[in-house]
Amino acid sequence: MATLTTNSPGGAARPAGEFSAVWRARLGRCAFYLPLAFMVVFFALPMALTVVFSFFERTMFWMEPGFTLFSYHNFFFSARLENFLTSMKYSAVAVVICFIFGFPIAVFIRRSIPQVAQHRVILLFILPFMVSEIIRVFALRPVLQRNGLVNSTLLDWGLIDEPITSLLYTHTGVVIGEVLSFLPFIVFAGFLAMEAVPKYIFEVCDDLGVGFRRRFQDVILPLAAPGIFAGAVFIFVNGLGVALLPNILGGPGAVNAGLIATQAITALDFPLAMAVSAIMMATLMGLLYLGHRLFDLTKILTPLN
Amino acid sequence: MTDEYANPWLYRLKWLYMLLLVVTLMSPVLYVMYISFNANGFGARSYDFTLEWYRLVFSDTLLLNALRWTLTLAVVVTCITVPFAVLAAKYYKTAQNKLPVVFLLLAPLFVPPDILGSALLVYFKSLNASFIWLGDQLGTTIFDGWFRLSFFTAVVGLIIYTIPYAFIVVLITMGRYRTEQTEAARACGADGWRAFWDIEFPQIRAGVFSACSFCVILVFNEYTRTSLLKGGFDTFTTVLISQMLNTGMSPQSYAMSSMVAFTAIAIIGSIIVFTLIRTESLTRMARAKAEPVMSS
Amino acid sequence: MSETTIAKDMPPAVEVKNLSKHYGPVKALRNVDLTIAAGEYFVLLGPSGGGKTTLLRTIGGFHKPTEGEVLLHGQEMGHLPPDKRPTTMVFQAYALFPHMTVLQNVAYGLKVAGMDRRSSEEKAAAMMDVVGLSGFAERKPHELSGGQQQRVQLARALVLDRDILLLDEPLAALDAQLRKDMCLELKHLQEKVGITFIHVTHNQEEAMTVADRIALVADGNLVEQGKARDIYRAPVKKFTASFVGENNILSGKISNVNGVSCTVDVAGSQLVVAKRGQEVTHGQPVDLSIRSELVQLSRANGSNNSGDGHSILGSYDEAVYLGLTTSHLVRLPNGVEMTSRTISDAVDDLPTPGDPVRLHWQPEAIRLHTS
Repeated sequence: MATLTTNSPGGAARPAGEFSAVWRARLGRCAFYLPLAFMVVFFALPMALTVVFSFFERTMFWMEPGFTLFSYHNFFFSARLENFLTSMKYSAVAVVICFIFGFPIAVFIRRSIPQVAQHRVILLFILPFMVSEIIRVFALRPVLQRNGLVNSTLLDWGLIDEPITSLLYTHTGVVIGEVLSFLPFIVFAGFLAMEAVPKYIFEVCDDLGVGFRRRFQDVILPLAAPGIFAGAVFIFVNGLGVALLPNILGGPGAVNAGLIATQAITALDFPLAMAVSAIMMATLMGLLYLGHRLFDLTKILTPLN
Repeated sequence: MTDEYANPWLYRLKWLYMLLLVVTLMSPVLYVMYISFNANGFGARSYDFTLEWYRLVFSDTLLLNALRWTLTLAVVVTCITVPFAVLAAKYYKTAQNKLPVVFLLLAPLFVPPDILGSALLVYFKSLNASFIWLGDQLGTTIFDGWFRLSFFTAVVGLIIYTIPYAFIVVLITMGRYRTEQTEAARACGADGWRAFWDIEFPQIRAGVFSACSFCVILVFNEYTRTSLLKGGFDTFTTVLISQMLNTGMSPQSYAMSSMVAFTAIAIIGSIIVFTLIRTESLTRMARAKAEPVMSS
Repeated sequence: MSETTIAKDMPPAVEVKNLSKHYGPVKALRNVDLTIAAGEYFVLLGPSGGGKTTLLRTIGGFHKPTEGEVLLHGQEMGHLPPDKRPTTMVFQAYALFPHMTVLQNVAYGLKVAGMDRRSSEEKAAAMMDVVGLSGFAERKPHELSGGQQQRVQLARALVLDRDILLLDEPLAALDAQLRKDMCLELKHLQEKVGITFIHVTHNQEEAMTVADRIALVADGNLVEQGKARDIYRAPVKKFTASFVGENNILSGKISNVNGVSCTVDVAGSQLVVAKRGQEVTHGQPVDLSIRSELVQLSRANGSNNSGDGHSILGSYDEAVYLGLTTSHLVRLPNGVEMTSRTISDAVDDLPTPGDPVRLHWQPEAIRLHTS
């Protein structure tokens, strides 16, 4: 052992590089704030400024500082409000449909598929989501239209005599588009949420003979609520905000907030676009705040800590 | 699987339902792919297989140019987003107050594309105006064009869009990493960076690579934010969509959408296959090596 | 320890001065002073959450002190990160690098220090022989048992030739028998390499096995320190008595003070105890401690006199058979339970529950605690 203890590189005297090390460490700590600073400057600030800009006065091609409620007047006292509320209603319908079809899958994956394979099964649902949303939405046209895939199949099978025309260019079309676009998200959110429901709970329920309904109501729902809520808000807000859905699949009256904003941008009415954005942000913040008060949304990420 | 008394048919039925749902979600894309190989286009009575539409796409210089822009955009965004996501995830794990971090990094997920796009568009326009004004006051022109709609503004918009996804993916893989290992490396004399590169990074590499492929695919597919914030260039999707919006679906646009879809599916598919093979072989190796060891 | 004469001239390996560590309102360490000589096997013993790990990690540079200084070999180190200190550390578990082989794990520190690959691997292999890991070089950590994993950690730390090795509950994840064996091995290893070991544990048996000196840490305070034997045989503080060994703690009031000893009133019995330099006044509440194996049990032979000051009366409760020893639980008149431990089967006819019994002991066995 004597050879080991002599001329030790890790001995008492290791002063070299001390100061540069301290400075490097300090610099390294600054690097951790870089992403946060970026998000503040290019995300939080622009979103907050929408409120300020929404009070500006509209000019021919741009806007100028001022304080006017004209944009809000323009939004609330026109067909836009009605369209907005209608799109809210259909967006909520899409949320419910997504939940009914998607959430059981999250439960199934968590409960009945071995731990190591769970993430791979989830990847299956990333597959459709990885194809551009707009392409998927566009591709719904040939599927849903009068002589499209659905109608021709149903006609061939003799289930219907007349093609169903209400599938496209209607609110139904928009809801179908929303469900097909956003359903994977309720699976992801549900999957994350079900992490809060330990597997042995199912065994306890089996042991106690707890029925399907009670099990869902008393065990799964309270534990998975934060994740379910986050997924639902995601779908609801995107249903309101993705302009392409009503633009491509919707008919008369199918105009959501996103479409109002893009139309305003095209018409160079920037204050109106900002007002719509501010209203959307207020809706989103309100929902998230409500959810946070009700379920503590940070719980969603606790499995990751 | 785990419950040995469960009805195996019910289990299979649940699997069937799940796969059916995936196929339904994919059906528009699959249908478009099917049409894209038809020489007679959409709605025709007869089906003749052809690659003609694909050939047309590749002979279109406008499209090829757009493809180049798309790839550049994807690479640049990925190179910024993923390191940011790693830094943010590391910060998140040590942060005392996690709420602001979570909020800043995940909130973009909840902001619809058109809303984020419009807000950033107006923000950049005002910034540009303010900087030009500032330049005028100072008598220089160096500030002009910093925030004019350009490649840069598109990159910023897409970073905001992709960072929540990258953050979640990296955070999930980091969740399995034990920080004791970093401390052990420090105790061995490695500084913070060295410990990260030698010890932590090899273990979160899978997550970082998934985050990278996520970013590339998301940027490739994104339309709304890109089209609102881009300068004078076009990406693959913007070309495609503007053609669709102007002239409706042409046989050529079916081929183009299919190509985007094929690329994305190929990337994701290879990730699935790769992880499958890798985990299988790893477990097999582990099983082979780990003969029972009796002594302490 | 043949180098004790040299060690006298050298500054102590570790000197902690007035160290405090606060996490917001939580005070993990309060004004700790500690000196550890070079070449010593020092154990920080205490209950979980008492601050002993925080103290160790502060010495290692994983925590920054809120107040106070840490001197290693006489040099202030408070501002330095772990990799710039002459310390290295063995962690509780999970600290091996799972993507490297055992050999790569052990050689990692040498690689970081810039040693070339061949000599670093030779040196690592030599150290693996020392800790008894020869033949495991190409294994991955998950293919090793818990004990082997901790050996790898030891080799990885020792191969660096640092002067101070910190061990944070190194045996906590092992089962009881293995822990005993590893304890002895650690002790012998330390004697062999001759560097300072600072070992954190909540297990007193482990502490007794390995330690030259022990410090008790609880509630962020350094309660008491001393030679392992002294801590066990003559604890000064009541906490030490309650934590180390199986001690009976009796609370009472001083009823008489005379010269070197005093009398304490415990549940009506007058017990005589040596003051051991502690200042006491009449009526002061104090505690007495006595190890259970030094308490003898006998039947109370009718007489109810309070005895000679070295015994107390109670009623027999029950016997707990523990294999080698049997614990006899006796309830005192004030409701406190006292334990007398004897070698099993030494007592043939056990009293039945409720029988009056007398507990007595040698005068020097009982100790007075004023704090």
